[in-house]
Amino acid sequence: MRRSTRKLIDRSFSGLGVMSIVLMAAALLVILAPIFVRGLGAIFFRGTVEFRRMQLEQFERGSRAAVEEETAAAAAARAPVYRMLAEFEEELSAMAAEERRQYAGQLREVRELVTELLGPAPGTPAPVLPRDQYGQTRWDRARFKLDLLLQRTEYDYSDAARMGREVRVDRARDFAGTRLEPLFDYLRAHAREMLRPRLTAYLRFLTDAPLDSHFFGGIWPAILGTLYLTLGAMLFALPMGVISAVYLVEYAGQGRLISLLRTCVSTLAGVPSIVFALFGLAFFIHSLHVTPGKSIIAGSMTLAALILPTIIRASEEAIRAVPETYKEAALSLGAGKWRAVITVILPASLPGILTGTVISMGRAAGETAPIIFTAAVSVGKAVELFQARFWEALAQPTPALPWNIYNLATEHEAVDEIRHVQFGMVFVLVLLVLLLNAAAIALRARVARRLRG
Amino acid sequence: MSGEEHPSPARKRRKAPSGPASSEGLHGRRSSLLLSARASRMRRAAGLAGNGTLLLITSSSAIVVLFIFYFIFKDALPFFRLQGLGEFFTSTRWYPSSHPAEFGALAIFFGSALVTLGAIVVAVPLGVSAAVCLSDVLPFGMRQAIKPVIEILAAIPSVAYGFFALVVFAPLLQEGGGRIMALCTWLLGAPVAVLSTVILADLLAGRASPRARAGVRVVALAALGACWVLGLQILAARLGQIEVASGTNALNVSLILGIMALPTVVSVSEDALQAAGRELREGSYALGATRAETILRVVIPAAGSGILAAVILGVMRAIGETMVVWMASGNAAKIPVPWYNLLEPVRTLTATIAGDMGEADHVTGSARYHVLFAMALGLLTISFACNLASEWVLRRAQRKRGA
Amino acid sequence: MVVTTPTFDLVVPERRADVRDDAPLEHPRIVAREFSVFYGRTEAVVKVTMNFPHGLVTAVIGPSGCGKSTLLRAINRMNDLIPGCRTGGELIFDGQDIYKPNVDVAALRQRIGMVFQKPNPFPKSVFDNVAYGPRILGIQERGSLRDIVERSLSRAALWEEVKDRLGDNALGLSGGQQQRLCIARALAVDPDVLLMDEPTSALDPRSTARIEDLIGELRGQYTIVIVTHNMQQAARVSDFTAFLYEGLLIEFDVTGKLFTNPGQKQTEDYITGRFG
Ligand SMILES: Nc1ncnc2c1ncn2[C@@H]1O[C@H](COP(=O)(O)OP(=O)(O)OP(=O)(O)O)[C@@H](O)[C@H]1O
Ligand SMILES: [Mg+2]
Repeated sequence: MRRSTRKLIDRSFSGLGVMSIVLMAAALLVILAPIFVRGLGAIFFRGTVEFRRMQLEQFERGSRAAVEEETAAAAAARAPVYRMLAEFEEELSAMAAEERRQYAGQLREVRELVTELLGPAPGTPAPVLPRDQYGQTRWDRARFKLDLLLQRTEYDYSDAARMGREVRVDRARDFAGTRLEPLFDYLRAHAREMLRPRLTAYLRFLTDAPLDSHFFGGIWPAILGTLYLTLGAMLFALPMGVISAVYLVEYAGQGRLISLLRTCVSTLAGVPSIVFALFGLAFFIHSLHVTPGKSIIAGSMTLAALILPTIIRASEEAIRAVPETYKEAALSLGAGKWRAVITVILPASLPGILTGTVISMGRAAGETAPIIFTAAVSVGKAVELFQARFWEALAQPTPALPWNIYNLATEHEAVDEIRHVQFGMVFVLVLLVLLLNAAAIALRARVARRLRG
Repeated sequence: MSGEEHPSPARKRRKAPSGPASSEGLHGRRSSLLLSARASRMRRAAGLAGNGTLLLITSSSAIVVLFIFYFIFKDALPFFRLQGLGEFFTSTRWYPSSHPAEFGALAIFFGSALVTLGAIVVAVPLGVSAAVCLSDVLPFGMRQAIKPVIEILAAIPSVAYGFFALVVFAPLLQEGGGRIMALCTWLLGAPVAVLSTVILADLLAGRASPRARAGVRVVALAALGACWVLGLQILAARLGQIEVASGTNALNVSLILGIMALPTVVSVSEDALQAAGRELREGSYALGATRAETILRVVIPAAGSGILAAVILGVMRAIGETMVVWMASGNAAKIPVPWYNLLEPVRTLTATIAGDMGEADHVTGSARYHVLFAMALGLLTISFACNLASEWVLRRAQRKRGA
Repeated sequence: MVVTTPTFDLVVPERRADVRDDAPLEHPRIVAREFSVFYGRTEAVVKVTMNFPHGLVTAVIGPSGCGKSTLLRAINRMNDLIPGCRTGGELIFDGQDIYKPNVDVAALRQRIGMVFQKPNPFPKSVFDNVAYGPRILGIQERGSLRDIVERSLSRAALWEEVKDRLGDNALGLSGGQQQRLCIARALAVDPDVLLMDEPTSALDPRSTARIEDLIGELRGQYTIVIVTHNMQQAARVSDFTAFLYEGLLIEFDVTGKLFTNPGQKQTEDYITGRFG
């Protein structure tokens, strides 16, 4: 082979490696970017007058006078819409039955869309559900609804070989020649006056309870549930994991029992998380009856079993990294073994143990499968731990970020309407996990610096 | 001579510098060198008790493993007693809630296998070449900068991956699946094409007589290049024609699972590559081999079993993953036609368990409830076998290195 | 009649030349009788019989791997940590065979302190390092701890250097300071014996000189056993020297005599640098 070819192969080989790393980084970016951008969109967005009205009426936030003034201004801008609809209604009743039937269906669609966009028409009785009491609270959603209102979608099946093609049809064309025709131009031109979008920072998204199954409000109960589940899991897993690691490193010889224990730890690490879920259900709830049904305690215990091997491994590594000379020094001063462990070895390995702990906390926070059958519910109140009988609070099921993300994204009745809430939840969860990991990385860097001198 | 009358100068000097809190204070606290029989018995008993307690706590992970096997097995057994083994493993008809219910899980096992295979196809080449790059190509500083990328990939919760697959990636795939695939064909195919053309042309030219060499090379380059361009063009055009019926399909899930398995594959195989040692590499470089030759011929074979272990661990990660497949695989319990058609929806073991338990839990004791445990038993067995295999492989690698 | 307490009535000579040749046999603090140490099958120390005289400095020399560290670590039973390590014969400290089953190892180690080859202070403050041993003995009171820390650091000739930074992490000290801190830490429990395994091999010449001076100062107050590869050092600091070779005690004598007029051919070969 020529030298230049060998060199080419060598270069392209390195290139391949670099490319795969670039691909990896790109994948990370592609996944994180929408989560961050759209997740932030749950907090920072252009809120309409409907949003401010909702905040005032449901959460008693904002100045009543200002909102009322704004609502009045918006109502003035909306008046022509309702006038045109009413006029068309009149015109319709004068039409021939054939023609009337043709328009009736389309009119109903328009009316529904107008209601969705602007809220219930003035003069109609107030609906029961909060979601029906307001128009679009977010300008991006309003724009989307406006599009639906201005154009409808048709499918063109003329080419039998292919799937139907989407065709967008202007509704103005449907109503050409009627008194409704100018409505669409009016809507297009005056949407801003009708909804008055304004940049809004809804920071309380994080601390509000959800309202009307997440149509409005925030995600606080889920955040709190995740925190409790994670901390509960650490409460069980951390002492057990650290003690196990100490025993495996310091006290146990190299006997058969120990290698069996090690195999068990690695087996546990390999058990799929959904199997933990079934185990938690069958053991903690159906057999031990820790609680009669799903609860924070049962979920924490299941999560603890899941992260136990991670903590054991990390702690073992950290303890092994403590120089043998520390132990020798302690023993030579007359310390007993346990004393050497507690006063010298554990403090010296603490940062390493903490690093592993923090990472497994991230894992526990993000795990969904184990809590499906043991702890998580879709709708629930925020856990109130600081009450008289906190045991009862812990024996309750709780919403939790990972489960609610799944639930809202797949099982919610209006999945598309609350995308921003879903993204907000994913954003918060990912941010939580990343912060924990960043803490771990910082901790490790500090340890490295300290060990160097 | 008596110690009383003539205290030794040693003692004297020793006491001299000590102030009021003399060393006597320490000696007072000192126990005698010998333990009484009782004290020593007590001490031994305390030691034994302490050791026993620690052992008990340490065994808790073993106990959990044992209990997991026991409980899954206990609840899986009634299913086989009720329904037998045959249908479960051979039929593809999965109608657990109809009357009479049918529990053919073959398609579900197949779905798990298919997405796992897909994930491995994505993760292994990418992961191993990234590991090689990390351990042998990049300078130390760069490596430190890239480590967090891997850590973050590993840290992102699976439900976030699932959400991405369902909400961002699936619509994308559905809208422009054909075009995306065509683009990927070109992106991946073009470098391979260029490289193989050059190498083959070079090899052919090497065989030709020295005079004809230049001519042969040009002809070979042109011919091979044309073949490649044509082939890629045809492939890309055909892929571009494909319309993706639904974005929630096996391809989507395979890609995401592949990305999720990447960190495991990268870090385990990087460890293996590092462990192969410097001497090995230096020996090869000393013979005039290039970096690529050294890595391909010497380092990767030496790290082979470690890389194998990485692949096994990657498989475990992919096969046990629940949320992504549950959210984005389409959950259709049928074998795609043809079987390798990744664009069709599939259903996996994990997703079935997660999805059906909610309803089956109300009918505890029915075959519908127990079949899920049977599936969990299957999963558990597979992951246990994988785990043993990876441990065995790693231990063998260690022994080989030690010898 | 007056009862003789052999540990107390040794007149410590001011100069090495004054030591009588038979002194160590008369007034031993530690006595090894046919003492052996095994690592599994291999016998690292073979039937050594010797005495470590009270209040004096005994050096142990010999080629690498001859069992010096093993012998030294056997004296405060640090070898217990090594799985498969056994002993034979007797090792007597203060009239007790320390390998008897009912010996309190922790109490033994408090009375026989040890300084290691590489300085190994704990990653704690200077104060906490020195106070570690006294705390084990149950001294919690801040005042007496302070006294002990100050006294120990002064004895280890470190007080002046660290008195303003007692709260700093000990790993921030220089190597020589760290080693003296380790000596202070060992002195803080007020041991009778100080074992030193190549205490200066990881240090620069100046720190080495300081440690050697320190040993000179501690001489007479403590029974010191020092393992060293440095023949000059052995000659400078010790009163008696033992030469080990492949686990066997080849020669044990007054330092001056062993270095100037060795009784054995092997000793002569070693100290003149012909092997080892
Ligand atoms: N933990 C151990 N297990 C088995 N054999 C050991 C162990 N430690 C030491 N040995 C063996 O015992 C013999 C004496 O070792 P020792 O460390 O006492 O030598 P040394 O004289 O201190 O050497 P050096 O001058 O290099 O420190 C050596 O042959 C060594 O290989
Ligand atoms: Mg040694």
